[in-house]
Amino acid sequence: MKKLLTRLLGVALAIGMCLGAVSCSNTSDKTENNGSDGSFKVGAIYINSQNDTSGYTFAHHNGITKAMDSLGMSTKDDLFIVDNVPEDDEKVKAAIDTLAGKGCNIIFGISFGYINAFDEAAKEYPDIIFSHATGYLSNDTNFNNYFGRIYQARYLAGIAAGYKSVELGNNNVGYVSAWGTEYAETCSGINAFTLGVQSVNPDATVHVYELQTWGDNEKERQAAQILIDTYDCCVIAQHCDSAQPQLVAAEKGVFGCGYNSDMSVDAPDAHLTAPVWNWNVYYQLAIETAKNTPADFMSKVGNYYGGLSEGFVDISPLSDKVPAAASTAIDTAREYMVNGKWDVFSGVALTFDANGACTSEDKALKTNDGQEIVAAGGASVDDGVITGSMNYFVEGVVQEQ
Amino acid sequence: MGFHLVRKTDIKIWQIALYYLAGIAVSLILGAVLLTSLEINAVDYYKDMFTAGLIGNRFPAKTIENFFVSFVPLLITSLALALSFKMRFWNIGGEGQFIIGALTSSVIALKCPNMNPFLILLLMVITGMVFSGITGLAIAFLKTKFNTNETLATLMINYIALYVIRFIGDTKADWNFFLREDSVRPKFASFEENARMPYIDIGGYHLQFSVIFTVLIAFGIWFYLKYTKQGYEISVVGDSSKTAKYAGMNVNKIVLRTMFISAAMIGLAGAFTASSSAGVSANITNNVGWTGIIVAWLSKLSIPGIVVASFLISILQYGCRIASASYPSIDSHFADLLQGIILFSVLAADFLANYKIVRRKETDNA
Repeated sequence: MKKLLTRLLGVALAIGMCLGAVSCSNTSDKTENNGSDGSFKVGAIYINSQNDTSGYTFAHHNGITKAMDSLGMSTKDDLFIVDNVPEDDEKVKAAIDTLAGKGCNIIFGISFGYINAFDEAAKEYPDIIFSHATGYLSNDTNFNNYFGRIYQARYLAGIAAGYKSVELGNNNVGYVSAWGTEYAETCSGINAFTLGVQSVNPDATVHVYELQTWGDNEKERQAAQILIDTYDCCVIAQHCDSAQPQLVAAEKGVFGCGYNSDMSVDAPDAHLTAPVWNWNVYYQLAIETAKNTPADFMSKVGNYYGGLSEGFVDISPLSDKVPAAASTAIDTAREYMVNGKWDVFSGVALTFDANGACTSEDKALKTNDGQEIVAAGGASVDDGVITGSMNYFVEGVVQEQ
Repeated sequence: MGFHLVRKTDIKIWQIALYYLAGIAVSLILGAVLLTSLEINAVDYYKDMFTAGLIGNRFPAKTIENFFVSFVPLLITSLALALSFKMRFWNIGGEGQFIIGALTSSVIALKCPNMNPFLILLLMVITGMVFSGITGLAIAFLKTKFNTNETLATLMINYIALYVIRFIGDTKADWNFFLREDSVRPKFASFEENARMPYIDIGGYHLQFSVIFTVLIAFGIWFYLKYTKQGYEISVVGDSSKTAKYAGMNVNKIVLRTMFISAAMIGLAGAFTASSSAGVSANITNNVGWTGIIVAWLSKLSIPGIVVASFLISILQYGCRIASASYPSIDSHFADLLQGIILFSVLAADFLANYKIVRRKETDNA
């Protein structure tokens, strides 16, 4: 027994010596490296790894590094990341403590489930700004949330899909969605896409297949197969993480609209366009404000909900599979939304003809079981509905699963 | 021609220390090669890692606090596992017993929001220990009664417990009081203030009661094994259950009792963790049920050895994670890799220190 104990003390000694050697060695401190004045540090908490090559974390990491680059900050020295943090309050709290200890001035959390840990941390660390994506909590001084009008981009993608369905003479459009009416985020996406499709092809039906999970490659694949084989869909849109639905569309010789990144890379023969986030637009605003005027962060940035007009959301470049008239139509619709002249969930419907010319008419916004949401000519629903309480499908949506 | 292993008999302590040093040095050099290939200064990285980021930290007290939050469950679990391993009862169900302890104690925490803090903590601990202990007892019963394989039984309970807690965490329903009511998406609820681990404030550092209790538990187990009749019985059963039988010991009773204590202690660790995290989650075990096995064997089931080894492994785990936060190109997978290299080297060093590889002569084969 004594021998074993001493052996373990040996380990302790060994590690202690390494430690001593390491701390004695005279090396340059991290903050003294070039390209950094060390005065402002950015922290980020990711749900996956920053070394991912696609997907949600990848998009955010790209956004943060791009924003820091254009602000002339060093992503090597002034960016601190804790990755693979599950949506578990204790783990998120530990990650926040780590980043706070490193001296971060602003900490971003990209996953919804970080919400309560961020809320508590904002009280505990009043001199650090906390910024939480997709959430709904905030305070008046150092805690905001950020998200965007991705539904606007989905409407534009819907226009492209609508033209494709007209060209193919097939009124069935498919939509692989993580969730359905349970979450306003997925629900508003399906509705906006459908309204976009119908602005070009009023006879079209959008068949929705609900996965009931945010990410599952195999389920995403099966859903797309069912939509094509059973419901004869000619365009497959998606609200899920991987490019599987686009790959299936390519295999089956139909077309598709991806999500999050330009999935023409994955399925060049099938992909039309994808709604995308330009997270760097928000990150640049947030970091710049937090760096220069931290006291005014909540009045200048606040709870951020950017859209097409801020350049925060958009669609990826139209592929050559998209009929030419779509480009004109999309430009018109985008311009309307950028100018604030019109928005998707209002009592005014846009219609595009075969050449892409636009006419607008007053038309009530109705659910697919006939209830009126917005009267003809009425103003758009509140942002709170789009982000929080939308739980119905509009006319033209059929939920298949 | 062949090779065989011979146990070294005359190995000195300083020689063992040398082996360990060499093992760690090799792993650090390997890590340094990897770090350099990623254009990272290995010395800076190791400095951050072995000090758990304490140098230049704005909130060092927080770092130490979080370290203890991960150290406490590992130490208790390793001690509990060692207890059953000493008896040659292969309890590899630490994960499951931990979850059972955490989950059942959280029922008390969530259902009694107005109870006195010390009373609720006591109740939580008892609940966690009893339910987890009964699980262990049931498996020991099957072993003593039907001679079932306890390795498989404990292993399977791990997965049952894991999927139960995942199911609870993912299912929004009226009966599910484990989840927050104010969240649309399913999310585990936090405990009220009364169910959170109390602490002593030492100049901004919060010393949680669980840390103090854990030290006492370690002393208790050491004393139990070394100076009590029951502790002696455990080691006799471990050496040979037949000897124990001839000596007039009731082997079944010892197995049942020890396994109950072992599982109950892991349940206690679960209850402590739930209380100090102010809630449960599917990741609550932090893999201590598995890491505890490594700790117990690395320290050859010696209680003081377990204290030292679990402390060092916690620093390694915690430090790896913290160091990776400083470098945007380093993610937690790399931290895990480095941790794995170091652990593997230590185990290899331990092996080489105790055994030598001898070439077998032709004549020996006959």
